Amino acid sequence: MTSERPLKDATGFTGRSSVNALQASPYAVEATDLSFSYGRGQHVLRSMDFAAPQGQITMVIGASGSGKTTLLKLVKGLLPLQEGRMTVLRKTYDSPGENRHITSEIAYIPQHLGLVRSLTVLQNALTGALGRLGLPYSLFGGFPHALIQEAKDRLTRIGLGEKIEEKVYNLSGGERQRVAIIRARMQNPRLILADEFVSQLDTVTTTTIMDALREQTRNDGVTYIQTTHELDLVLRFADRVSVISSGKVVLEAEGGAVDRQTLSEAIRS
Amino acid sequence: MNRRVLRGRLFILALGVALIYSLAGVGLLDAQKLARGLGNIALFSSDLFPPDAGVITTVAPAMVETLQIALVGTFIGTVVAMPLALLAMPILTNSAVAPGVRLVLAFIRTIPALLWGVLFVVAFGLGPAAGATGIGLYSAGYLGKLFYELLEGVDPEVVEAVRSVGCSRLQLARYALLPEAANGLLAQLLFMFEYNVRASSIMGFVGAGGIGYYMLGYIQLLRYDALLTAVLITLLVVIVIDWLSIRIRGAFLLHDA
Repeated sequence: MTSERPLKDATGFTGRSSVNALQASPYAVEATDLSFSYGRGQHVLRSMDFAAPQGQITMVIGASGSGKTTLLKLVKGLLPLQEGRMTVLRKTYDSPGENRHITSEIAYIPQHLGLVRSLTVLQNALTGALGRLGLPYSLFGGFPHALIQEAKDRLTRIGLGEKIEEKVYNLSGGERQRVAIIRARMQNPRLILADEFVSQLDTVTTTTIMDALREQTRNDGVTYIQTTHELDLVLRFADRVSVISSGKVVLEAEGGAVDRQTLSEAIRS
Repeated sequence: MNRRVLRGRLFILALGVALIYSLAGVGLLDAQKLARGLGNIALFSSDLFPPDAGVITTVAPAMVETLQIALVGTFIGTVVAMPLALLAMPILTNSAVAPGVRLVLAFIRTIPALLWGVLFVVAFGLGPAAGATGIGLYSAGYLGKLFYELLEGVDPEVVEAVRSVGCSRLQLARYALLPEAANGLLAQLLFMFEYNVRASSIMGFVGAGGIGYYMLGYIQLLRYDALLTAVLITLLVVIVIDWLSIRIRGAFLLHDA
């Protein structure tokens, strides 16, 4: 069923984001009144309200330039908070720039994956664990055996067992996407943010990757937020969908409770 | 005639005037001087041939010393340049340190290799030690700049992705910046070595070792046939090193999909 965002209260914030409610919040990410501009007067986000439930796959769909990537980067802390308020994994940020703290609890997969092309599949997967390692050890001593085994097991389970020593530039698009997801999982994150992930992949590969992600959200309670412009992806895999248009969320709905036409109309609105 | 065409023609005219002014300034519009110079070149050329093979036993060991100067100099340059290049990256340090380091590198580059050679002759005395350290410091200035420009050119998405795992700045350099830029770093290093072989050849002019010492001596003694032997040996070595560089670059080339 399509749901409307709660109305803002007199202080300008919704009831869901109140500090007292944080402990019980069912949301991994909650943003209210979020505005962001890259230059003077060019607002990409305009008083956006957004929420992503814990342990679910939330898909953010919208046209190019609608503000999807900006939203993810703000949640990750790669862009500074300018206006509004965000609660990410129970930490609340409401001052400008307060969110700029990079933590391994939040994994981020950029649009073109950001893999280190000259490193092997295994090495790329292991970079995900850098935040868990002591500095001298990771700089000079390589990675601990247990971590290497963990990475190998994860890569094997996702079908890359034969390619762990392959350089990333030799892989196909689908294989690279799988490496990126394993790198993210090696962080042991509680929240994964993925920008236009699994776009332009064949159906079989997409299903394999998305099923693995769904399993992780169900079993480990990891929250997964993905931006996309593909309606099919949303209709098949989203537990929840937020439609963004001109920097605002114009529609929020449960994944199974929305049809193609409603989504298309919301994107064009 | 539109403004753009007019501006283009005015620019070409200004360039022509500047060139004629400069030719006159350096004396190359003086017909008498030109005729005299060409005559001298013809005389000099006839004295070059045939090259004196008898000096090979003297010049060849000096060429080996030149290569040693170039190799050690490139090594010193790399060891000094790499940390400075990393410090010159605002993403790894901060917006105060990085410009300071870039200024130091620019200062090092301002002083020619030969002058660094003179300074180190004062420090270490005559010989190849002065040449190697002079070449080393000069290389550090250039390699530092080339390295940080390569590191800056790494795909920002790769930097963003690896930074996002919560790693430290040193880990970011070790696992993202350096591997991504490795090909370019190797190419610049080989280029610097090639350049340093040429630069080391004239270090002997200031007493800093290598084949240049003999070249200068042959010029002063008007032994142009012996000079040609030294030049030909240098040319041969440079050609071999260029060929080797191409082979090494080819072997390490990243075939990206």
